[in-house]
Amino acid sequence: MGLTMFEEDSRLSDSTRMRGAAHIISISIVILLLTSVNPSQASDFKSSWEVVESGTSEDLLTATEIEGVIWAFGTGGAMLHSDDNGITWAAYDSPTTSGILNSDSGFGSLLVSGENGLMMLRKSGEELWTDIPLPEGSIVNGISLTGSETAVAVGAHGTIWNLEGGTWAETNLSIESDLLGVSFLDENLGIVVGSDGTILFSDDGGESWEYREAPEGAGDAEIVSVEFYSPTRIYAITNDGRILISMSNVVTGTDVGYIWTLVEFERHYPAGSNEYVLGPETLDVMLTSIEVVTTSKFLMTGEGGYISMSINGGTIVSQQINPLGNNSDFNDIVMLTGFNGVAVGDGGKILWTENAGADDQLGFVVPEYGNFGVFVDETKAMFLSGFIATLKIVAFGIILGFLLGVTLAMCKTSPTSLRYVVERYEAKYVRLVGIPLLAGGLYLFYSAIPGASNLGLQGIEYVFLPVGAPVSFAKILLGIALLFLGTLFLSNDGNFSKVRVGPFALNPWRVRPLNAIATVYTDFFRNTPLIVQFLFIHFGLRLGALIQEPGLEIFSFDNLENNHNFLTDIIATYDHSEGNYGTLIGGVLYDSAFISAICALGFNSGAYQCETIRGAIQAIPSAQMEAGRSIGLTYLQTMRRVIMPQAIRICIPPMGNEMVNLVLNSSLAMIIGYAELTRQGKLIVASTFQYAYAWGMVLISYFVVTWTLALILRWLEEKTRIPGLGITGGE
Amino acid sequence: MPEKVLDVEDLHMIYAGGVHAVKGISFEVKQGESVAIIGSSGSGKSTVLRCINRLIEPTDGKIFLKEEQVNTPHTDVNDLRSRIGMVFQSFELFAHLRVLDNITLGLRHVKGMGKMEAEEAAMSVLERVDMLDRIDAYPGNLSGGQKQRVAIARALAMKPEVLLFDEPTSALDPELIGSVLETIRGLADEGMTMVVVTHEIGFARDVADRIIYMDQGVVAEEGPSSIINNPRTERLKKFLSSLHEDEVVEQNDVD
Repeated sequence: MGLTMFEEDSRLSDSTRMRGAAHIISISIVILLLTSVNPSQASDFKSSWEVVESGTSEDLLTATEIEGVIWAFGTGGAMLHSDDNGITWAAYDSPTTSGILNSDSGFGSLLVSGENGLMMLRKSGEELWTDIPLPEGSIVNGISLTGSETAVAVGAHGTIWNLEGGTWAETNLSIESDLLGVSFLDENLGIVVGSDGTILFSDDGGESWEYREAPEGAGDAEIVSVEFYSPTRIYAITNDGRILISMSNVVTGTDVGYIWTLVEFERHYPAGSNEYVLGPETLDVMLTSIEVVTTSKFLMTGEGGYISMSINGGTIVSQQINPLGNNSDFNDIVMLTGFNGVAVGDGGKILWTENAGADDQLGFVVPEYGNFGVFVDETKAMFLSGFIATLKIVAFGIILGFLLGVTLAMCKTSPTSLRYVVERYEAKYVRLVGIPLLAGGLYLFYSAIPGASNLGLQGIEYVFLPVGAPVSFAKILLGIALLFLGTLFLSNDGNFSKVRVGPFALNPWRVRPLNAIATVYTDFFRNTPLIVQFLFIHFGLRLGALIQEPGLEIFSFDNLENNHNFLTDIIATYDHSEGNYGTLIGGVLYDSAFISAICALGFNSGAYQCETIRGAIQAIPSAQMEAGRSIGLTYLQTMRRVIMPQAIRICIPPMGNEMVNLVLNSSLAMIIGYAELTRQGKLIVASTFQYAYAWGMVLISYFVVTWTLALILRWLEEKTRIPGLGITGGE
Repeated sequence: MPEKVLDVEDLHMIYAGGVHAVKGISFEVKQGESVAIIGSSGSGKSTVLRCINRLIEPTDGKIFLKEEQVNTPHTDVNDLRSRIGMVFQSFELFAHLRVLDNITLGLRHVKGMGKMEAEEAAMSVLERVDMLDRIDAYPGNLSGGQKQRVAIARALAMKPEVLLFDEPTSALDPELIGSVLETIRGLADEGMTMVVVTHEIGFARDVADRIIYMDQGVVAEEGPSSIINNPRTERLKKFLSSLHEDEVVEQNDVD
């Protein structure tokens, strides 16, 4: 470009077109490179699970751990235990031949339940099992100890049994749903789950149960297992491959167990692969059990030999490689530590691990982010969404900034002075208007005093008055303005002469109100840091939410259901598909952080653009204004038809600066939680640790945006160039 | 007795800096009359002109366009200006508009004409100033003389009641002056009422019905164009003799 600027160019328009095409091609190449890099094949994966010898061929259905010993139970009353963390197993002389289906440990005791009402307790410190059977034919789906000799069991058709004083008391909730799982955190807090999305909560050790609402979309789910992991978190799973989560919320003061949500899966990695399924609705497997090891890490089993793990609360789930192939079902997992544990399954199969997910080479599939191809493939979706988000705030920010800039520049160059406003009226009428203005000013001052003085500020602290008492501050400002105007109007004698104050002779009639307002605005926005403006506008003023709420009432789905068009879709887009009909899925009003970001960027850029445009307006010879006025155009008409068209042409190069600045400043929107490019980069770094790749790609992406913008402006500059206007060097 | 078009009574102009540029000037211009205002630089000629269409606000005095007073706060200044044409020393064409659009701008946005109507009207005034062949050119591609003729056409298109010329040839190369003067002369012959501030003494003498000689903010001498040849006051004599002799002679030769 630089060279061609100096060349003699007789066919300007042709060459411009060719240059434009060249730019488009080069930009397209960069974008293609960014998005179409193929991943290289990942290295081999091997399972982190090892097969260990169990010495039995019974189906192992449940396992639990107590005092460092892992127990596994199964059909035919099979009982195994291991006291070396699951490596070697010994058979235990079982007192029963009925199949054992469930087990629980806690408070030093071990409880198992099984077919035909089998229920056995091995009390704390005792060697022997105590039989505490339920009535013949009872179907128990889940048990949980609430003390060393107390427990809760749940079964079909809403049946709950409470063990106390060595006997079971049966309660039948009048519901049709089958209860499928129970878990107690301590002796009081417990949770029961079941079919038809049943969730019951108890805070008195199972004596009474409260119904809790299943999350939307899981109202008819069969919730098969639950783990009350901590006072802040409960996980549950469904037989259609979904995970439910309940968390306590410090902000709203909601305890755990009240609010349930479905985990939104971001990715699901099939075993031994880094070709993931993006954003699946469900894991598409019949889950059978869940073992939570930390607040956000858990393992699950499912039908078809499915074992999987998540280290981020279920957002990303990785299927574990089953060393036995996926023919052999596993029914339960017990973890001694975060990494060490066993999975027990049909045919006496036991898998043992000591590094579940600890090492990406072993089982848990972490893509090879160090390989740039893989990195790009894994992260391009995030980059692209950040890129588009950045383009969106930039586009809206530029529009808002430019409109503000033009308006402010017009205000700043406006010749409308107080004298101009009042000189057409007779002096006595102006004086008459002065009286209410003066009275209004005094009243505003008077009414502002309590608000301002009640703050208890002293001395310099009054600088912060606008924050402490914004209404009082506004009243004081307005009061000063009205007092000034009132005094001035009252003293009007029709001469509009200067006022002598000591050595200074000032003419208050030459005050230009529009200029004053615009100056206050630009001075404020140019003398405060943009990042603080972002924070204040979004979190302080809550401007985004203040616009979003009434905006969504106007642009509600009811109003737009049948008459939405291109423009309303920009403001608020609703889903019209069968699945979630009427859900807000996009548009400016979708995200309050987006609105705040546009406002902060636009307000700030407007202040700077104002000065740029003002400079250009002042560069137009004043005689152009005179020429326009002399043929009878009004001031505004001349501005619009004569001055602005020339001024905008002059200020295209510095406006390019402002717009590039706006793009770069848009990265600050990350601090108010808007998912633009820099924030996406940060998230990518957090999950891949590839600092150089991630930030390098972010840099290039910004360059693509700003460079494209610069090329567009350059093209615009050449396109709108007028012969004889300014020194361009291109002629 | 022709109708009075313009009447200036005791006009004073004191600039913000305190310069008393015009000190009580009175004159009138009748329908179809062309008046030339001559005088040395800084004598207040241009100030008078600018006061007439209120590009600057006169400090004191009265100006009437026909029966209507120009300099009151209640005057519709935009309507007034559309009735008073003005041609500037440095043309002041709108650089971003083609010749045709320069002329239709006022017609469309002041007179409210449609595009076609405005263009037809523009073509007819461009024909009068002999610029029909350059209607698509940008001002930057025109010579000074062409620019000034377009500027005259722009003023003329508004059908003004009086046309003010503010040193219309001062910014032109000598060889381009002729065409512009010829255009102005044509307008005068057609009976256009005009006030011309000029340094072209020969032109003033030949075209103007009346000449006003200004010196230091006051009218030093006023009279028919013959006063150029027979100045009555010393000041005008001195002024005329201070001008380049050749110029006067040259103008004489041309005529």
